[in-house]
Amino acid sequence: MKQTRILVVDDELIIRESLTGWLKRDGYHVQSVPSGEQAIDLLKTSSFDLLLLDIQMDGISGMDVLKHVKELYPDIDVIMITAFGSIPSAVQAMKFHAFDYLLKPFDPEELGVLIEKLIQHRAKIQENQFLKEDYQQRNRFESMIGQSRAMQEIFNLIEDIKDTETTVLITGETGTGKGLAAKAIHSNSRVSNGPFVSVNCGAIPKHIMESELFGHQKGAFTDAGETRKGRLELAGSGTLFLDEIGEISMRMQIDLLQVLEDKIFYRVGGTQPITTDFRVIAATNANLEKAIENRTFRKDLYYRLNVITFTMPPLRERKEDIPLLAKHFLIKTTQEINRGVERISRDAMDELMLYEWPGNVRELSNAIERAVVVCKTTTITPFDLPIVKELENKLKNKYFSLNDVEKHHIYQILTKNNWNISKSSIILGIDRSTLYNKIKLYDLKDDRDT
Amino acid sequence: MTKTRIIIVSPIGDIGQWVSQTIAKEVSKFFKFNARVETVLDDIFFAYNPDRKQYHSTKILEALEKKAPVDCIKIIAVTKEDLFIPILTHVYGEAQLGGKSCIISIARLIAGLEIETRVVVKESRRIVKEAIHELGHTFDLRHCDDQRCIMHYCRSLTDVDRKSSQFCRYCTIFLADNIRDFCR
Repeated sequence: MKQTRILVVDDELIIRESLTGWLKRDGYHVQSVPSGEQAIDLLKTSSFDLLLLDIQMDGISGMDVLKHVKELYPDIDVIMITAFGSIPSAVQAMKFHAFDYLLKPFDPEELGVLIEKLIQHRAKIQENQFLKEDYQQRNRFESMIGQSRAMQEIFNLIEDIKDTETTVLITGETGTGKGLAAKAIHSNSRVSNGPFVSVNCGAIPKHIMESELFGHQKGAFTDAGETRKGRLELAGSGTLFLDEIGEISMRMQIDLLQVLEDKIFYRVGGTQPITTDFRVIAATNANLEKAIENRTFRKDLYYRLNVITFTMPPLRERKEDIPLLAKHFLIKTTQEINRGVERISRDAMDELMLYEWPGNVRELSNAIERAVVVCKTTTITPFDLPIVKELENKLKNKYFSLNDVEKHHIYQILTKNNWNISKSSIILGIDRSTLYNKIKLYDLKDDRDT
Repeated sequence: MTKTRIIIVSPIGDIGQWVSQTIAKEVSKFFKFNARVETVLDDIFFAYNPDRKQYHSTKILEALEKKAPVDCIKIIAVTKEDLFIPILTHVYGEAQLGGKSCIISIARLIAGLEIETRVVVKESRRIVKEAIHELGHTFDLRHCDDQRCIMHYCRSLTDVDRKSSQFCRYCTIFLADNIRDFCR
């Protein structure tokens, strides 16, 4: 990083000249100024990565320059240099976020090492920032993970609608991430600074739904001991996410439609109209068109919600995302429950790819979580996966050859014993060379490095 | 007012002309269809249960539906006989949900008063409420939880008297939707 731009601020000419010369020889871009005032002026027009800043100067002191720089240009690192070092001034410098503190005269080598350390530090920060942005760019949006074409289309759509405040209806099977998509829309929208208020229409009991949504005034009903804001009010100018909108009662549909149209509502028992400005995102795994035919969902509400609609793809239609998702859940779960499970074996990943995932991403998440809990080694194997047991149950009535049975059993024993050949051969009742021959015959592989 | 669609109020036996006419007038007001009084079924003995000494309302509805004139969209029969359905001791009325016919009995609604005399306001309100309630069912309205709504299910005369003579906000909307769909 020899492109690093350094500003030397010192009222002593000899210090400025020697430092400038030395640093230039080292390949840095260097400028120097004799005072704090000139440093502040120069910073308005030129950008620097590092300041070498003398503390004791006429006019504005180095400490004041430090404070100014950290306030206005927090990305610039500052190394304080002084001939009059003291612990209090060192402490003060660090308190104002100086990178380091050097006493004059200092060994140029020491300064060189320090600058190098600083450059590496900055490089690491930038790399992390880049990786984070790249990860977010690759995987996109608020924990929505996917590189598949299906998910890229979803991401593109979210990108397209981010600057609108139009009502969105998200459909899809259960566990496909409709809630995450709603959050992603909110996070990328103009109302992202506002609240994201979620209402699970299927989970809230009908008899409290009205109060839950609209809030209530104190005394509105028997248990209304105090005035309470409902979710609509809490949504404010943000986003109201109505999950499982298909479960809402016909009466509530009428009330909701009225609010969406008039942008006004009343708390239960209230007389004061409350205006709303939230953006509505609704989600359902129900077939609303069928519900309309069955007269369990209002057509006018459907048209009100169905301005922009998209469907979250089921996991079986984006299987290429399974490895990424599985690894994400593995990392997340091991961190949450502090288990030392580090990887998923190739065979286990194969099983994950084979399974149809009727419960979609949520089911995958649960499967990985369970596997982490039951896994006895650092590697998740097929035997740790609940789905394999399901497959095994399904396969119970099928017939296997003796070779298949032997292969399966040997693999199981090897895996359980961390591929310890001696131990495994004892359990299997065969000698080591026979075991090696069997491993070769069945092409068994140690998947612990996956 | 939709002129080509008629709701028929069919008195069974002598229930007093004013009863039929009052019901016809209110029905027309509530449902925005013309209504006329016409006897479609005058004998309901086929529905009589001698053990219970009551008339089985469901059987009457079946007969009513078959005999209803072509131009009628809904038909409400009014009788002074006591009605029942097998699982209940009595009913004030019964309707085919989303169907054509319904029936009310004024027997318990007038609580022993002679039908020839003009009954007091409370009783006549009961009759109208139950008529509108049963016709509401023929327009696919269900029972309403709102005790004040005319579609609220009534177990007793107290319930009938307590409820208002109006549909609640929701039932009003549901009724409007159903009538719109019906007329398509």
